[in-house]
Amino acid sequence: MTLAGELESHLPAGTSLVFGQLYLTRSDDGTFEACHLDDMGKKDSLSPIDSVIDLRELAKFDAGGEYRPLKTAPSLKGGWITRSSESPEFLKRLDAIYPAVFATWIAYANEEHHPTSLRRTLDRQTGMYRFAGTISDQLANRMMRELCHPGCIRKIAWPIDDMHPVSRLKAQPRAIPVICTEACTFAINAARALAKEAFEKANPPAATGATE
Amino acid sequence: MLVAKPDCALLILGHGSTENPDSSQPSWDHADTIEKSGQFGSVHCAFWKEEPSFRQIWPMIEEREIYIVPNFISEGYFTRQVLPRELEIDGHTTVRDGRTIHYCDPVGIHSAMTGLLIKRAKEIIDDSVKLEDTTLIIVGHGTNLNKKSTEAITDQVEAIKASGEPFAQVLDAYMEEPPFIADWQTLTDSPNVVVVPFFIADALHSYQDIPVLLGIETEPTAAASQRDVFRQNPHRFGDRTLYYSSAIGTDPSLADVIVDQVSYFDEHYRS
Repeated sequence: MTLAGELESHLPAGTSLVFGQLYLTRSDDGTFEACHLDDMGKKDSLSPIDSVIDLRELAKFDAGGEYRPLKTAPSLKGGWITRSSESPEFLKRLDAIYPAVFATWIAYANEEHHPTSLRRTLDRQTGMYRFAGTISDQLANRMMRELCHPGCIRKIAWPIDDMHPVSRLKAQPRAIPVICTEACTFAINAARALAKEAFEKANPPAATGATE
Repeated sequence: MLVAKPDCALLILGHGSTENPDSSQPSWDHADTIEKSGQFGSVHCAFWKEEPSFRQIWPMIEEREIYIVPNFISEGYFTRQVLPRELEIDGHTTVRDGRTIHYCDPVGIHSAMTGLLIKRAKEIIDDSVKLEDTTLIIVGHGTNLNKKSTEAITDQVEAIKASGEPFAQVLDAYMEEPPFIADWQTLTDSPNVVVVPFFIADALHSYQDIPVLLGIETEPTAAASQRDVFRQNPHRFGDRTLYYSSAIGTDPSLADVIVDQVSYFDEHYRS
């Protein structure tokens, strides 16, 4: 089935779904509609956005005007609504807000796309990010706790290493899961910073000055 | 050149940025232009530092044959190592998971870039300014880590010289290795100097860093898209006049260059 076909079957006419910070509905006549979850009760007052380009621009900044390089940060702006009668067009609009997120869930659910362990992701790095691979499991858990969980709405589907697999994620009723199948650039950067900090703590530079 | 590949997807790769909102914009703009032209079944972008990332993109693409064009300036660390590794491709064509994936040359090494650089330089100088009184500087990043990174610039400088355009001088300069762009006033002696950044986007380096090195800003400004007015030319330095253009990668013609790299692939690399 095509991705647009999957979207149609996930969201039949007359139903609704939660997708991250989005509330998706499909009217009885088949029209797709998306708005911010916080706006589901005030659709009449929302500004319509009818293009992929405008939605991409909307998702680029938070309500305070700060750049959102991570599209699944929990800071999607509200106040808008988008409608389309065509599922391929509606999917493009969802991808403008959450790039590849719907396709990732479908591929994961169909077991065509498999999570990559953190160790495999970090061991692949070169250049300045190679050092990230030295992070301990304990610090990796701290990274997930302090960076991933508050900073991103994705549910982590990857294990730290391939020896300790994690349970497969399941969809909740009336929701499309927003999942993370591999550590992103922010996580790799944080892993590098934590690994460097730990290394420097364990290997303090030799004292060069006179002591008292 | 137009292509007709309704059964193929086109994937444009960009660097992107976690700090500057304008870094990925040219890739999206060119993708939107190409998509509207209907030459491919679908057109996608993926980024190293933004979303969708190189690792996230595959589930989005439904066509079984895919052309990848790196929207990068030079061949080097990224196009030879990082992109193939992250996309799990090897060589010109990779067949895996039921897909045939063609990896094209980056846009920056296309022969049309020379003409675009000349066009960009001529566009921003005043009509009354003679090319004979004007030095053209092509500025790049430069890094001691990779020799290839400057080759794309020096190749362009040689090609512009060979084109017969009557610039007083054509020079290369860099942010992080000599000849430094910060030394433009001593590198040149003509009354007018036009600087064209050989970068993909008006982002961190070309819009925020280089203007400080040139002396037209005292400190990095906000991102281009966050300012009401794009910078005004010319800039006066005593009896010298400096013109600074936007990055070459923002030229709308780059959409044609991307499609041309697909045609070039078919003509030269396809077995």
